[in-house]
Amino acid sequence: MKTQTYYLNLGPQHPSTHGVFRIILELDGETVVKATPVPGYLHRGIEKLAEARTYTQVIPYTDRMDYLAAMLMNWGYVKAVEDLMGVEVPERAEYIRVIVGELSRIASHMIATGAYGADIGALTAFTYTFRDREYVLDLLEMVSGSRMTFSYFRVGGVAEDLPEEFYPAVKKFLAELPGMCDEYDGLITGNEIFQARTKHVGIIPPEVGINYSLSGPTLRGSGVNYDLRKVRPYSVYDRFDFDVPLGKNGDCFDRFRIRIEEMRQSGRIIQQALEQMPDGPIQAKVPKVIKPPVGDAYAEIESSKGVYGCYVVSDGSPKPYRVHFRRPSFINLGYLGKLCEGWKIADVVAILGSIDIVLGEVDC
Amino acid sequence: MFGQGLLKGLEITWGRMLGKKQTVKYPFEKIEMFPRFHGRFQLDVDKCIACGLCANACPNKVIQMEKQKVDNKQYLTKYVMRIEYCLFCGLCVESCNKDALKFSSVIDMNQYRREWVRLTLVDRPAPESKKTPEEAPAETAKEQAAAGKAAPGKEG
Amino acid sequence: MVENIFVSIAAWLRGLLGGLGVPDLWNDVILMVVKLLAILVFILVNALWLVYMERKVAGYIQSRLGPIHVGPKGLLQTAADIGKLLGKEIILPKNIDLVVFLLMPVLIFVPPLVIFAVIPFGKDMVAVDMNIGVFYLIAVASLSTIIFWAAGWSSNNKYSLVGGMRSVAQMVSYELPLVLALLGVIMITGTLNMNEIVNAQKNVWFIFTQPIAFLVYFIAGVSETNRTPFDLVEGESEIIAGPYTEYAGMGFAMFFLAEYANVMIVSAMCTIMFLGGWLAPFGLDFVPSWLWFFLKMYLMIFIFMWIRWTYPRIRVDQLMAFGWKVLVPLSLANIFVTGAGMYIFRAIGW
Repeated sequence: MKTQTYYLNLGPQHPSTHGVFRIILELDGETVVKATPVPGYLHRGIEKLAEARTYTQVIPYTDRMDYLAAMLMNWGYVKAVEDLMGVEVPERAEYIRVIVGELSRIASHMIATGAYGADIGALTAFTYTFRDREYVLDLLEMVSGSRMTFSYFRVGGVAEDLPEEFYPAVKKFLAELPGMCDEYDGLITGNEIFQARTKHVGIIPPEVGINYSLSGPTLRGSGVNYDLRKVRPYSVYDRFDFDVPLGKNGDCFDRFRIRIEEMRQSGRIIQQALEQMPDGPIQAKVPKVIKPPVGDAYAEIESSKGVYGCYVVSDGSPKPYRVHFRRPSFINLGYLGKLCEGWKIADVVAILGSIDIVLGEVDC
Repeated sequence: MFGQGLLKGLEITWGRMLGKKQTVKYPFEKIEMFPRFHGRFQLDVDKCIACGLCANACPNKVIQMEKQKVDNKQYLTKYVMRIEYCLFCGLCVESCNKDALKFSSVIDMNQYRREWVRLTLVDRPAPESKKTPEEAPAETAKEQAAAGKAAPGKEG
Repeated sequence: MVENIFVSIAAWLRGLLGGLGVPDLWNDVILMVVKLLAILVFILVNALWLVYMERKVAGYIQSRLGPIHVGPKGLLQTAADIGKLLGKEIILPKNIDLVVFLLMPVLIFVPPLVIFAVIPFGKDMVAVDMNIGVFYLIAVASLSTIIFWAAGWSSNNKYSLVGGMRSVAQMVSYELPLVLALLGVIMITGTLNMNEIVNAQKNVWFIFTQPIAFLVYFIAGVSETNRTPFDLVEGESEIIAGPYTEYAGMGFAMFFLAEYANVMIVSAMCTIMFLGGWLAPFGLDFVPSWLWFFLKMYLMIFIFMWIRWTYPRIRVDQLMAFGWKVLVPLSLANIFVTGAGMYIFRAIGW
């Protein structure tokens, strides 16, 4: 029998492409023959905009990349500028950065977990994670004044010290965090239907993951132990005791499960950071008008989606000559086309969700 | 055993169904904002020296100000924030040396039309020169300043 | 008194018409129309209520409150929604099959309506007491698949087409275990008449003698009504809304309400075949029989909703595999065991 393939345009407006992402699917019945990802619908030209702003004024724009983990986006940029200027960040500021950064990571992973549940069809998981994320956002709002786009980091430190009411609130949250994770595990991870949908689906072999420069939970799901916080510790991460959860098969289920485990580990890191936190200044001595010397610097941090890098070139003026962001979501998408081949339409959604993209970051 | 996870899920949702609800009935009950919350801007005109640091700190050129020189002193006549472009990053508030520009905890800034969103914090004429030793013009200026504070642009 | 309220109303109406000198034939016709109208109203009111109930249950499960503002406790929310949908433009996409496209939202209510005619809501409370009631129900219930499919096909949208195709595939593979599961009950009772099936459960409900049949029927019933975990036809995270993707306004609302009518049918069927229909448990006879029927039916509906808001969605090939490799053999085995058991019981003369 002669059959014909047809094209299905998944997105840019689609409930489960996590924003305005588009995949052109060539389908044979429900089976994907070829998938062509088309990013770029949310491109705002942040890198170009940064060239017309002073070094401090770029910080609010970095928020708008991965708006689910905005603290981490601030961090990578600020770190690159600090490297460029050779500024030593005070210790207390580093601890504050770790605390808010890990809180932001928890918030981001909560969305990844809940949105993945919704992608598979369990809508209740989505509301549960969003409900719990509100606690994290409350904490970050106490600190920075905003709930999503914090702009809390400054070159050489952070904007303000942690407020008094933050400490009891964060302790309460940390006490509840394992219970929250257990609830997600019980509702989603342990569910047999969910496992049937995600286990052995969309397998990324470890060597392919490395070759495609994947990072974050997407890479660690394949069992590659590569977490910048461990392998190349920045800030004060070498002082904390935490595990890097790894997957075995590199399938959607592993990538999903790792995020819940990472939330627990982030909780441990925050706990230790709170105990070890010293007193002291929160801002290094940085001139009001930041004028780094001529040169360039590249800094990398482990964001919630993977390795987030920032490259800053200075020509000695108060504005950066060039800023480039290595956005993990975008690079993790590189293998999506091949990954989807041979799976069903529903699996495309599952695979895309397991990579956990944020369109603000993909299109920058 | 197969089916355990399914039952566990039902148990969790059952517990949640009988448990406490998280809904805040928003227009009727409101949550208090944290002290650092980035809400609507407030400008203390008496403290403001019209230095323009906030306007320079803004990444999006949201702040438009006009000033006049009165007796060797800068006098702020107009201070408009184009809130529709504002990122609420707080760089302007941070840059203010005199502690004049602040965030309030007012959150409902939404309007029906884009133009109405614009926030006029100060709009007043400059006082006459104080070369004559009379106090009266200064008094009126202060009154006008108070009026400008009370009614910041279109009421939202 | 309360027990026979609906039967008495029918009898009174018949007596009234007879007293007015209406011939017997016309009397029957008028009475039948009244009964069907009552059923139509019942279905629509129930569908409206079920939409509200679903939203409330979903809200409570998700630690929200659900609709609270329109009317007392948000009771008028669905009415308000329907009012809004009525006022919406009917959007007709390009290159659709216009007649089929417009006809399908109207036809979608026909199968539920004609099915409810044979369902006994209480003692002697059935519009048409048919000898082959179960057979008729199964035959008519599968008609709605054609409507989904036609709606998907006429929309000229690939998402709708995929959804329509899925609905056919799902019906073909799940109608079979559904029927086979009911067969166990029918073998025991030896009748296709629903009233007699209910009466046969006087001593013990069939859920206890036929637990596997109940389970298979329940799973297949969830699939028949296109609800999570088998809501592949809509599958909103994959194919937007399946066959309803291109429908706007009231057309969409009709499909939406029909889904709840189907949920009611499956729950009512479950009640009749396995939960003793309108029979009162533990001899609690003072509660009218039709109230028992509704209580049992709503219990089933609640379980449907509870499951919907807990489980994720199964994939299309897994759905097929589950239907053909698990449910069909299971229901066949159930028939075999039932037959063997009946033979043994008859042999020992019990």
